[in-house]
Amino acid sequence: MIIEHHPADEFLVRIAAGSLPGGESLLVSTHLEGCERCRDRLHLLQAVGGVLLDEIEPATMAPDAWVRTLARIDERESRFGGAALPLRAKASPSPPLALPGGMTWPSSLRDCKVSRWHWMGPGMHFARLSMPHDPAAALFLLRIAEGRHLPRHTHDGLELTQVLHGSFDDGRAVFGAGDFDAADADVHHQPVVTSGGECVCLAHVGGSLRFDGRIAATIGGWIGM
Amino acid sequence: MPTTDELNQWMRAVATSSDRLAFAALFRHFAPRLMSYLRRCGSPDAQAEELVQETMVILWRRAVTFDPAKAQLSTWLFTVARNVRISHLRRLAAGEAPAASADPCDQWDADLQAADQALGPHDQLLAAQRERGVRRALSVLPADQARVLQLSYFEEQSHARIAEELGIPLGTVKSRIRLAVAQLRRLLDGFDS
Repeated sequence: MIIEHHPADEFLVRIAAGSLPGGESLLVSTHLEGCERCRDRLHLLQAVGGVLLDEIEPATMAPDAWVRTLARIDERESRFGGAALPLRAKASPSPPLALPGGMTWPSSLRDCKVSRWHWMGPGMHFARLSMPHDPAAALFLLRIAEGRHLPRHTHDGLELTQVLHGSFDDGRAVFGAGDFDAADADVHHQPVVTSGGECVCLAHVGGSLRFDGRIAATIGGWIGM
Repeated sequence: MPTTDELNQWMRAVATSSDRLAFAALFRHFAPRLMSYLRRCGSPDAQAEELVQETMVILWRRAVTFDPAKAQLSTWLFTVARNVRISHLRRLAAGEAPAASADPCDQWDADLQAADQALGPHDQLLAAQRERGVRRALSVLPADQARVLQLSYFEEQSHARIAEELGIPLGTVKSRIRLAVAQLRRLLDGFDS
């Protein structure tokens, strides 16, 4: 898998800093799962956080901070056992809905609630995702058949897309599995799924999404954007 | 200021023999820094105290998972504190009581970066080597780039707010971040060779 489109450094900096909001952070995490280049950059940026922590002016703690920390440890150990607990192996999540053959379900999505596939046109389905701690985030999965295109649309916020399977071409570039795209309000695009099978994308839309045309508008309203 | 070797030794003592003296030394070094970090991220004092304690509890309970070949302790602890803070804010947002109903270590495990686990042994070694150069690289970064980077980590500010505060366009914030990251990578590559 050759990944050609990566999140800009500002996304990685905000992931490292912990300041990227839930929905966007989910998209970038999903990208990181499959992208060694970005994981390498994230490591560097986490190290920056470590250096900044080392160099920060220390603050005064409450006088009982140490005692309360020890009490917390004792309480925790009496409830959950000793310190040297092994890491729990993370079971790889089983996909909550039918996926094209050969596609794996990203582990970043394991805590999301996922709806069933909804029909939105010939060869086009979508599912809503919701994160427990950020239920309002406009997250969804799109599953589009080969040769089909999404209705032409614009958005006033940033639209983030992570390609999970297959590929699409939106006139600016071809995006394949593993690729990440951030399209701002200037982009008025109509992604077309290229040959090679169905395309599944994870998308996050900031602001509202507008499709062109009457039917498209109905679909937009139905998706709840 | 303790050396990297001292910090790693204390950490090993905590991991292998639950050494409370070593833990006290780590607490003395890191707790006031974590406090400062969390305050600057916008946590009120009481919350910052809680989160520091929680971070240090995780250090105690998860010391065995720290691998000095993979990362510097300050980096490891920075990511722990960041995750503790995020989980706390998420629980608040979801309307859950911040009380520890489950072992917060589990929370932390679930949040563990896929990034850390997916590095091969060779890359991990490389990561640790490169990390030692980060301090040096940061110190020679042009001031305007360093400032934007620092604000991104510590003030819990959106890049739009940073732009406002510095009186520069949002595009400039983004391009300074891009330049800073590129410059860091270049400097680190230079140190390697």
